[in-house]
Amino acid sequence: MDLNFTPEEQAFRAEIRAWVRENLPRDISYKVQNALRLTKDDMQRWARILGKKGWHGWAWPKEFGGPGWNAVQRHLFEEECALAGAPRIIPFGPVMVAPVIMAFGTPEQQQRFLPGIMSGDVWWCQGYSEPGSGSDLASLKTRAERRGDRYIVNGQKTWTTLGQHADWIFCLVRTSTEGKPQTGISFLLIDMKSPGITVRPIITIDGEHEVNEVFFDNVEVPVENLIGEENKGWTYAKYLLAHERTNIADVNRAKRELERLKRIARAERSGGRPLIDDVRFRDQVAQLEVDIVALEMMVLRVLSAERGGKKALDVAGLLKIRGSEIQQRYTELMMQACGPYALPFIFEAMEAGWQGDYVGAMHCAPVAGTYFNYRKTTIYGGSNEVQRNIIAQMTLGV
Amino acid sequence: MDFDFTEEQEQLRDAVRKWVARSYAFERRRAIVKAGGFSREAWGEMAELGLMGLAIPEAHGGMGFGPVEAMVVMEELGRGIVVEPYAAVALVAAGVLARHAPEAVRQQWLPRIAAGEALVVLAHQEREARYMLRHVTATARQDGGQWRVSGAKSIVPVGDQADAYVVPARVSGQVDDARGIALLLVERGAAGVTTRGYPTQDGGRAAEVRFEEAPATLLVGPEDGHFALEEAVDVAIAAGCAEAVGAMEQLFAVTVDYLNTRKQFGVPIGTFQALRHRVADMKMQLELGRSMSYFATLKLGDDPAQRRRAVSQAKVQLGQSMRYVGQQAIQLHGGIGITDEYVAGHYFKRLTCLELSFGDTLHHLGEVSARMQDTAGVFA
Repeated sequence: MDLNFTPEEQAFRAEIRAWVRENLPRDISYKVQNALRLTKDDMQRWARILGKKGWHGWAWPKEFGGPGWNAVQRHLFEEECALAGAPRIIPFGPVMVAPVIMAFGTPEQQQRFLPGIMSGDVWWCQGYSEPGSGSDLASLKTRAERRGDRYIVNGQKTWTTLGQHADWIFCLVRTSTEGKPQTGISFLLIDMKSPGITVRPIITIDGEHEVNEVFFDNVEVPVENLIGEENKGWTYAKYLLAHERTNIADVNRAKRELERLKRIARAERSGGRPLIDDVRFRDQVAQLEVDIVALEMMVLRVLSAERGGKKALDVAGLLKIRGSEIQQRYTELMMQACGPYALPFIFEAMEAGWQGDYVGAMHCAPVAGTYFNYRKTTIYGGSNEVQRNIIAQMTLGV
Repeated sequence: MDFDFTEEQEQLRDAVRKWVARSYAFERRRAIVKAGGFSREAWGEMAELGLMGLAIPEAHGGMGFGPVEAMVVMEELGRGIVVEPYAAVALVAAGVLARHAPEAVRQQWLPRIAAGEALVVLAHQEREARYMLRHVTATARQDGGQWRVSGAKSIVPVGDQADAYVVPARVSGQVDDARGIALLLVERGAAGVTTRGYPTQDGGRAAEVRFEEAPATLLVGPEDGHFALEEAVDVAIAAGCAEAVGAMEQLFAVTVDYLNTRKQFGVPIGTFQALRHRVADMKMQLELGRSMSYFATLKLGDDPAQRRRAVSQAKVQLGQSMRYVGQQAIQLHGGIGITDEYVAGHYFKRLTCLELSFGDTLHHLGEVSARMQDTAGVFA
């Protein structure tokens, strides 16, 4: 047992840190460190910078053009990016669809799609959830009917994150109604420019446009866009879920946001004194600190087992629950730190370079919106209640 | 960064686990508790396994193992809720002697501790100190070359049977000063030492110990005594965290078994979602606790500031985990959980006592809060 990274791992970290410092555009990290609004250009600029280095698919094996890092190296890369204030890499291309294409796609599909994902040029989104299919994903109804060399797709997807920017969408579609719901699902790649696709914004309670509804009206999709075999899509989707690694806990970002929380609590005043010196508030921050260290230790345990090629620890499901609870907690404490100054809702104040007068301080502008937005974290990716069902099932054996 | 145990550590775990399962079954434990909460016989068996010398250097008859081995042993003793004061003697007091005592004292005591022949324990608790280690009213003074200790210490592990105590006592300064506290060794049989023993809630044994001008041997002088005391307490906390992990793991397993067997409304109660979610939450607390137990153990060798911060962080997590797992295990069992006959309640009681030992959750949250830095994390 040893808590320290090896000298090689420390050297690796230093290399990543230096590269990120050199290549992460300051205007982008400024926005991230201050929770200001990111544009499509900000996100894609960073994706392309990484892509040029061959790191946009940072978890990819060498045979598909990735760096071939092990679990610990991937973690160190993620941590260095997060602490430096890099935007989160949009996962739909490099993290979600790419591993499925690598595992189940044809060599033609791999050559056609993977380079655009790695380079950051092609933006992907995910077509899983439907209005009637949330936690019960296998009940999905969007149909794909085979006609000659194409599928005709009809139906609706929802909660499509950043679909308004996407070039492609990977979809779970129903190709059969025989047997169990899981057995009639196929995995299709669909060009968002196809005639018959309509994207409609869903405005969330923070006033932002992050998610969308995507409608399919007789959309023609060439059969060569089918991944693997027809009606085997559920298997591929499960494979994808298994590939969402420890990063789901997002502990690195939590560490960065804890620092921001402390900055805010030092800047805010209560009765003329720094809020951070108010013991009742400060102890709440201390509790969050403990929670983050405990989560990080749990992540490191998983990584250590993964790197050693051992059977994965059965704590991965816990990471999603705990990570999301912590994300919600720091947004809550930041909002509480600003107190009444969280109330003003000035939409433009979340733009970098806004020339208006902040009410209170710049750091007060985004805190309520982020708090509202982050209620999503315990809902998406399998709600925390569904996660608890899975953990209980594994523990009780029934 | 590696959380694997070595083969040697796994063998150690195996040996302790086997002894606990074979020789410290619930019925024997019950008899030991009934007889007062400490068994010389069981102590001898543990010594035969080599456990008493775990943290004692080989030169003094021990095995010279480190914190990870101690953690492994404590997890297994916790799994069997062993009441014998193993950590108090073999890790905490022996640790103070091994690290700080003059060589003559080491030669006199350490081989006997390692052989299971001598019991030495830390006697630090004072009535008005609560968890503040530097609040020391007991005094030590030199009287013609002989140190003498006066004062009262509380809740001393097996205090009425120990052979000697490691006693923090004030040589100089005000009652709350960190400076001026020395650590001294006082034998129970010395003139001026009186004890009043009693059982504790978890089935163990403790005593109130009074010293009146009792002759003593200086272990650590007033410049470094407080530092050595903090170090000893951190060792005790890390041991308690590991013990709690073992206890929680077993209590959780017992609870899961019960949910799968107990039937109500014609089905196993483990099929009810309200209870299943509690199982998931218990698992969460157990694993967060285990993670922080590792953290405390692996940070014991750090510089004092980092070590203290890490140990407090761990005790906050373990305190919360112990309380949650303990309370929920009882709740999920229903009425049987609060009977003396059934095993679960005894785990709950041990976990409860561990939370209150060496600083409760609120105390250590305050410590973390007071030591807050800009950054936080495993490597911060």
